[in-house]
Amino acid sequence: MSALTPEQMEGLFRAIQLTREHEFDCSECQNHLGEFTEKQLAGLPTDEVLARVAHHLSLCPQCSEEFVALEKILRAND
Amino acid sequence: MTMMVENEINWPEALRASGRESSAAVDALRGILLNGLRIVLRERSDVGEAQLEDFTQEALLRVLERLDQFAGRSKFTTWAHAIAVNTAFTELRRKRWQDVSLDALTADGHRLQELMVMPDDPGNDDEERAQVLEVLRQAVAEKLSDKQRVLILSVLRGIPFDQIVQLSGTTRNSAYKLFHDARRALKHHLTTAGLTSEVIRTVFAL
Ligand SMILES: [Zn+2]
Repeated sequence: MSALTPEQMEGLFRAIQLTREHEFDCSECQNHLGEFTEKQLAGLPTDEVLARVAHHLSLCPQCSEEFVALEKILRAND
Repeated sequence: MTMMVENEINWPEALRASGRESSAAVDALRGILLNGLRIVLRERSDVGEAQLEDFTQEALLRVLERLDQFAGRSKFTTWAHAIAVNTAFTELRRKRWQDVSLDALTADGHRLQELMVMPDDPGNDDEERAQVLEVLRQAVAEKLSDKQRVLILSVLRGIPFDQIVQLSGTTRNSAYKLFHDARRALKHHLTTAGLTSEVIRTVFAL
């Protein structure tokens, strides 16, 4: 049992701040992750759906980790 | 298959037509997925060639199962790589966090408000910060369920949703939803107390 670190406290405030009424959950994010990653790499504009993917990624470390991995694969295969 | 450029293949069709696991299309996709996983996992000393092959096979089966869900919004191979990455990373996270004690986590989570201390920052007005922290502590104590407190603590300590799922017998999605509901309740409480995102950002220099 140990107190939260300053970084964890900051993470809590940040997570609360980023909170929206409607958010994509992990499956919704993953359904669009391929398209999102391709567009990011191509520098193409994102629509509202993809903006929600970006928002989910800012709050979900797991989806975010998977996005980084997918980006790496696509970049290597380019 | 080898004569065709990857982009020109109608993957769902080729995979459906194959009907058996050893077809050219399935073999080609297996090679593509294995190559992708190798790119992201080659630097990890805990992942050997045999495990890469296992992840690939598991991912391949998932892709074949979900062919109907491919909506064509990205290249097929991108969609398949995303499934492979998810398959591999979920399993690796499970292994990494398998020894986390649910009992210790639960005990700490139930007392989350007591674990919340002021980030040390002499550059800011401590009185105002203490006030914000007190309101947040109160919200955590009164507005959240035990389950939500445990979840928030887990997230803050870096324990992945997948693992919380293993511990609490729920899905990654419902864990995320519970986390979302908790954040909404906290945000609502803070806003009602006059502490908007703007105020918090200023007070804590976020
Ligand atoms: Zn997620």
